[in-house]
Amino acid sequence: MIISQTSGVPIYQQIADSFRADILEGKMKEGEYLPSIRGLARDLKISVITTMKAYELLAQEGLVTAVQGKGYVVNPQDGNMLVEQHMRKVEEGLLQAIGSAKIAGLTEDELVNMLRMLMKL
Amino acid sequence: MEFNSVIHGENLVKKYKKFELNIPTLDIPEGFATALIGENGAGKSTLMDILAGIRLDFKGHLQFFGEFDEKDREKNPEVKMRIGYEGTGMYYMPTWTMQQGKDVQALLFDTFDGKRYDALCEELAIPVDPKKKINTLSDGNQMKLKLAGVFSRETDFLILDEPASPLDPLMRDKLCDMMRKYLLEKEGKRSILFSTHNIADMEAVTDYAIIVENGKIVEQGFVEELKEKYIVVKGEGEDREKVKEILYTMNENPYGFEGICLAEQLDALAGMKVLTETPSLSQICVAVMKKNSKLFQQKEG
Repeated sequence: MIISQTSGVPIYQQIADSFRADILEGKMKEGEYLPSIRGLARDLKISVITTMKAYELLAQEGLVTAVQGKGYVVNPQDGNMLVEQHMRKVEEGLLQAIGSAKIAGLTEDELVNMLRMLMKL
Repeated sequence: MEFNSVIHGENLVKKYKKFELNIPTLDIPEGFATALIGENGAGKSTLMDILAGIRLDFKGHLQFFGEFDEKDREKNPEVKMRIGYEGTGMYYMPTWTMQQGKDVQALLFDTFDGKRYDALCEELAIPVDPKKKINTLSDGNQMKLKLAGVFSRETDFLILDEPASPLDPLMRDKLCDMMRKYLLEKEGKRSILFSTHNIADMEAVTDYAIIVENGKIVEQGFVEELKEKYIVVKGEGEDREKVKEILYTMNENPYGFEGICLAEQLDALAGMKVLTETPSLSQICVAVMKKNSKLFQQKEG
């Protein structure tokens, strides 16, 4: 995990982002525990409250649950739901692009070519 | 955020000729590191001495670890042993040798761990020479020796008065590591209260901050909450006068201005050409201190 002090992104956000990615990518599995709050604070050289805030954010998002006296456990993640959520985002984005293309007077071929080009970047 | 208090105090009053410490309620969260911040003479050391039992002539009530009062702390050695204290003054008799300093602590404290003390002395790069007199050591090394002592005992609550002041940047970093490790060892059951002027160096180990001015608590809270409560505002002058009204403090220069205000007042800035940023703990402290400082108010008035 890389924590930047100067990126402008709050440290608790960076920690939450890192664990969220691990959970969604399946690197952290259902039933696994996040590192202990004070253990992670020691390892990352940050305050306990910052770590706590990161974990609470993940709990709010439903990715983990706080278990009294044990820590934060990773919840079961519904794979299909995640794929669907992202599909919807792709659709939304494409619809917006089509709308703008129309205003700019792009043809269908020109738009598709642009997408192909962008995919290669 | 709700928390359990390792120390709860009510109506704490200590009067001096020209100064009065007056704290209606005090709560130090259990399981965290709390920083006590304020100007010289604001009452930080007085408060710490009252909590540690160095100063017994005060009015008010104290509760330790949720069950003991200040009499228990004095009469029940088990309560007293759970509290570790490090002050700014001389702790060891100046003419003692380093060996004598170690022997006395082993005698005084049941849980003093000599091996751990030696290991900490090495970790803190203290030039150990059993025959060397303690008062011949530099300020930094004397502080390191006091810290090695207090961290070598089995305690549940540490009171550290200005531990970072005489330390170099490397050793301040080490101190932060020691504090985090201390909190980790009994996950959630150990707590630290420390005073400091070196807020920037200590921010990465500060969970809760209490700002004291002129004997009173003027602001307190978990650092992450304080960072949401206040906001830094920067601008280039155009809206200076309007912004001035809602800013806690404002620094002006020929190129623009910078200040801090309450985040809830952000609506009042709508439509103005200003940049907003999350403040650091040190920025919050300076703003709150300026607003409450006697010195500053006299100058302003």
